[in-house]
Formats: sequence, structure tokens, C-alpha cells
Amino acid sequence: MLPEIWQGTDAGGLLVIQDSASYSGRHLLKSFINAALTREEDIHVIGFDVSEDELRNGLKESTTQRLHFHNAFTDPLGWTDHPAFTVRQFNLEEITHLVKQTSHAKAATLVIDSLSWILRHVSPSIVCKTLQQLKKGGAVRTIIGLLHADMHQRGTVGSVCHLATSVITVVPGINGDEAVAKITKRSKSGKVMQDEEIFTIKEDLTIIVQSKSSQTGLKHPHTEEQEADPAANLTFNLRLSDTEREAKEKLALPFVFSKEKKTALLHSGLGSGRILYEPDANDDYDQEDPDDDLDV
Amino acid sequence: MAAPVESVTKHPAERSPFTTTSFQKKTRSKLISIPGTRPSVQNGQLLVSTGVTSLDFLLGGGLAVGTVLLIEEDRYDSYSRMILKYFLAEGVVCRHELFVGAAQDNPDDILQELPSPILDDVAIHKPAEQPQLSREPQDSLDAMKIAWRYQHLPKVQSALASSSRFGHYYDVSKMMEAEIRQAAKCHRFYLPEHPTQSSTTRSPVLESYSALLKSLQEVIHKEGFAVAASMSKSRNILRIGLHSLGSALWGDDLSCHDNPAHCHSLTTFLYGLRALLRSSLAVAVVTVPSYLIQDRALMGSITRLCDNAIALESFKGSERETNPLYKDYHGLLHVRQVPHLNCLASQLPDHKDLAFKLKRKQFTIERLHLPPDLSETVSRVSRGELAGGAAVAAACGSVTSGNKHLDF
Repeated sequence: MLPEIWQGTDAGGLLVIQDSASYSGRHLLKSFINAALTREEDIHVIGFDVSEDELRNGLKESTTQRLHFHNAFTDPLGWTDHPAFTVRQFNLEEITHLVKQTSHAKAATLVIDSLSWILRHVSPSIVCKTLQQLKKGGAVRTIIGLLHADMHQRGTVGSVCHLATSVITVVPGINGDEAVAKITKRSKSGKVMQDEEIFTIKEDLTIIVQSKSSQTGLKHPHTEEQEADPAANLTFNLRLSDTEREAKEKLALPFVFSKEKKTALLHSGLGSGRILYEPDANDDYDQEDPDDDLDV
Repeated sequence: MAAPVESVTKHPAERSPFTTTSFQKKTRSKLISIPGTRPSVQNGQLLVSTGVTSLDFLLGGGLAVGTVLLIEEDRYDSYSRMILKYFLAEGVVCRHELFVGAAQDNPDDILQELPSPILDDVAIHKPAEQPQLSREPQDSLDAMKIAWRYQHLPKVQSALASSSRFGHYYDVSKMMEAEIRQAAKCHRFYLPEHPTQSSTTRSPVLESYSALLKSLQEVIHKEGFAVAASMSKSRNILRIGLHSLGSALWGDDLSCHDNPAHCHSLTTFLYGLRALLRSSLAVAVVTVPSYLIQDRALMGSITRLCDNAIALESFKGSERETNPLYKDYHGLLHVRQVPHLNCLASQLPDHKDLAFKLKRKQFTIERLHLPPDLSETVSRVSRGELAGGAAVAAACGSVTSGNKHLDF
């Protein structure tokens, strides 16, 4: 499933990349940015964790004019007089304004590096509300957020991931440059698909998926149950050919009546099961009044 | 508060088309009869179906009117949402009024996704059709070859007549048709449409919850669901479905922090909700993402504040998914609390190990059975071995079991 997300075939919604101190998810994030730039999409990056130079390092030079970097690295909390982008500005109006300034034609992709920075200074419920509004609004098409799972309480990480359409959790793999990605994707119909893949990221920021490890996740029970054909794989033949079927239908069954008898039975059969009851005076037996049945 | 009593001497032509006999019980009951409800056999409370017949059975026949059912969500909120949709769909089929409150999805979207009911054949005798039948015997006779005696019985009635059955079945793969859905009256509460200003006074309830409670109170009083309201018009039940209370989108940090600042807001809301429901003809189903709530004591008090509580644990994503024990099921169901309304002890379910499975036409909840142990080491001691074995075991201490079974 990782190649599909990387190629952006199922874009839209919120993608959260969860990483930890043992393996940084920024490489994966940069490869997603690179792939999106190659597809000529507009990308807005709100960078808290790393500076602009570090993020642009490794991306292809020709495509970087579509990458709009909003500098939140130098002064995220607004300590100086003219901060470029602060944590307080992470709300629907400001981001829509930012995105509309540069990309007019098509919907852009918003990359947040990282969500952890915002979650440390703004209450998680407000962050979740903003993410939900961004997801529903039309300004950005896809939101990709990097979340350092070991920096927050489990409930916070869980709440943010609950909103996400796809969650990719990266952990280091067994070999040096390999990593394991656990992907959970929720589709619109409610299906939840899970996958676990081993991948490496090359120098030019392309992803090589080594293998799929373990389960591929069951589909949501909305799909119908498949029925096995009981007539298959038998040593004798249980199926009918067309001529055989015709002959079977022509066969007169032993206790079948002729048409006339059937109609006669059918027409008299209507209404024979009714009970016609006229309430009788004797039947008015009142349980509570013991003298009701006295013939006085 | 007497309902009109049906007398035995009613004219046969006026009898309701659904009864096939003209016997009518002469009752002097003072119970209000609302379609879609029935009195409980245990304590006489008025019960409402949850939409899932197996869940009704677990809760002792149904949900009592005036109570709250808490559903602890499963990890991806798929099955709890399904049960909420069953509950609302049951309300549409029984002609009850609905109230949907949500912060994440628009209530209209939830109402669009309701499963379509499976309507069975309701045999209605239509005397007007009789002359037509004699005109076309050929077509009708060719219709059924073996069961020809049943040909002239009326076909499936597709119009949604008020069925007198208590629980219904739904087909999950189809959506409920728009005309059936629009026939039911729905009230909505979508949190983003109610902008809340942060108040300066510290109230124990969050603004979002107090707005929801106020909206509920308004609906109950205006539409006449309060028990104390006048009996002039016919009574109906209000079904309240609240999605994902306690999640971050309601403004609550209960699920975000281990020591939440608003730790009492959800509990205060539930207390107010229960008080409101006890004095009205309404039922509520509330889903809470309990796997995000880290404080177990708080989760315990939330459970105690609701009358019924069940928890869903789906196997998806956990290591149990590949466990052969659980291959037939989609998850486990834990009953956390059963209500004891107006009585000292409650009716506990017999079995504690329950598993659920969502099939296309039914949401089944079954007792989890362990498969039989068919390994070689299962002790099947025969009489001959007992006599001989006792002597041998007494003689030597450690005897390897070897092959105790006879070889044929």
C-alpha cells in the first residue's frame, strides 16, 4: 500500500506519519514531497522542526518553485516583533489565507512538519478541530503531518490518528537502512485496510518496498460472503447441461394436478380459512365481576 | 392516563386490517401503547428495540424508555457506528422521532448511511383484488410450479406499513431509501454550526456539552416528549443518538490527556442527560471512544452514570486477528453494565464471553465457544487402563504417558 500513497493515487484527507526517536519519519516525508513535486502539485510546507535549507536539501532543483515554505522554524512562538509564522496562526482562516495567496488554480497539499510542535503549545482539542476543518474545507486537498509519537501522551496521539484517513507508523527494521511501515487506511465506505511493509529510501528519495511482511488486513464486513460452489471438485458430475435441464422441466411430477384441477382448487380456496364470529352475550365474561355469569 | 380501550363489540368492518381474527381482548390496561414499544416481561418497563435483536436479548428484552445506552467504541469506530445506525434505522421503521448529535460528521451524512430494512411478507387480504384473479389464471398458474397453492396470496408489501413486530432486520449493503427516511422526523445537532464562545465563568460543563443539553431540552419540551405533557395528541418516542462524545472534536480533552482539565464535563453532561431522560419518553445511545481515555477511574464513573453499557473490541489490527479461535467473529463484546430500574437486582447475562459478527443481514452476538480439543493427549481413560494404571503409577513415580490409547 505504500507505493499507492507515495504515488498519490488516493489523495485527499489527512495522512499522519508517526515516528519515534529510533527512526525519523522525515525521510519518508521528504520522499512524499518529492513525489508530489514531480507530479507538479503545489506544496505548502509549514516547517517547525527543521530549517528551510535542510528541508530543501535533496529535493530536485527543477521542481522546487512549487514548494512554498512557510518559515516557522526561526520564531514559532512569536518572541520577536515580526514572526514569520507562529503556532497561534495554525487555524483555518490563516492557513486558507496562506494557501490562497500562492496557489490559485488547483487545490494544494499542506505538509506540517511537525504536528508535535503545535501539539505542545496548543491544546489538542483545538488542533484536532483545525485539522478536521482543514480536511472538510476546500482550500487544501491533502494534509500530511509528521507526528512524533513518543513526545505525547497516548491519548493525544490516538485522538489525532483517529481523525486521520491514513496513518503510517515507521519503526526501524532489522537491517541498517531498512524500516518497517505499518499502514492503516480508512476508506470512505468505512473499510479499514492494514498493511505492513519493509522499505528503504534511496538517495534520490524514491521508496523501494522490499517485501510485505505478515498480514494484509481483512476487509470491512460490508463485502458479501463468498459462497463456495459445492458442485466443484467432485469425482461425479452434479451439474446439468441445457438439454438435461429442459428435459427435467418437462417431466411430469407424480402428484401434480392438471391445470383445471388446480384452478378449481385455487378459486375455492380463497376465504375458506376465515372465522366468522359474532360476539355472544354469554361470552362477555368479566374477570373482575364474580356475579357476571349469574343468571339473575 | 388511560388509553382508549377496545371493546369486544366492535363492528367487524372497522377492525384493523392486520388482525386475521375478530377476537379482541377486553382490557382495562392503563399502559400507553406507542408503536415500536412493548412492556418488559421482567419489570413492566416500556421497552424499545435497539435495532439489533441479539443486543435486545442481551439487555433484557430491549432498551427501557428513559435510559441511556453507552457503547464504548472499537478502535476504528466501525462497529459502534454501525450499531448507532441500526438504532436510528429502527427509529425510522417504527416511526419514532430522531435526534442525532455529532461533532465529527454531519448528522445528515450519518442519516444517509442508514441500512435498509428487510420487510417481510405481510399477508394483507385485499378483497378488491378478487375479481381480477379470475381473468388471468394462466399467468398466475405458471408462476409457481410446486407451491401453486400459495400463488394467490398477496406478494411482499413494499410500502412501509407500521409493522407490529418488535425487532427488525436490516440489510447492511443497501442504504435506506430516501422516501422512508424522509418520512421520519429528525432533529440535528452538528457542533461546528453552534459556535461557542469561551465563557469567563468556570462551569463544570463545557460549552459544547451545555449547548447539546440545551438543544435536547428544547426538542423534548417543544415536541411534547416530556411525560408530564398533556395527553391530547398521540405519544411518540424520541431516539437520541450521540456520536463520539468525549473525543477531541467536542472540545473535550478527556481523550487527549492523562489528567484532563475538564475531567468532570462529560460526567456532568451524562448526569444531566439521564435526569432529562427520566422525565421524558426518550432513549439515548451514546458512543464514547474509551480506548483513548487513559484514566480508568474516570471511565468507570462514566460507565456508572449510564444505565446500560457495552464495550466493543474489534479484532482488526490486533494480534487476535490471526488467532484461529476468533476466525469466525469480528470482535468481542463486553457487557459492562446492565440496568436495575426500580428494582434491587438486575438481570445479568448468563454468558460473559460474547463475540459479535457483522453479517450482511444481521448483527449477531454469540457466546464465544472454544473449539473442542482433539489432540492426542486428551485424556480418554478406559476402565481397563484405570485398574492397571493405578498399580503402575503407584510403583513408579515418573511414567512417561507414551501411547495410552489402544492401537487398532
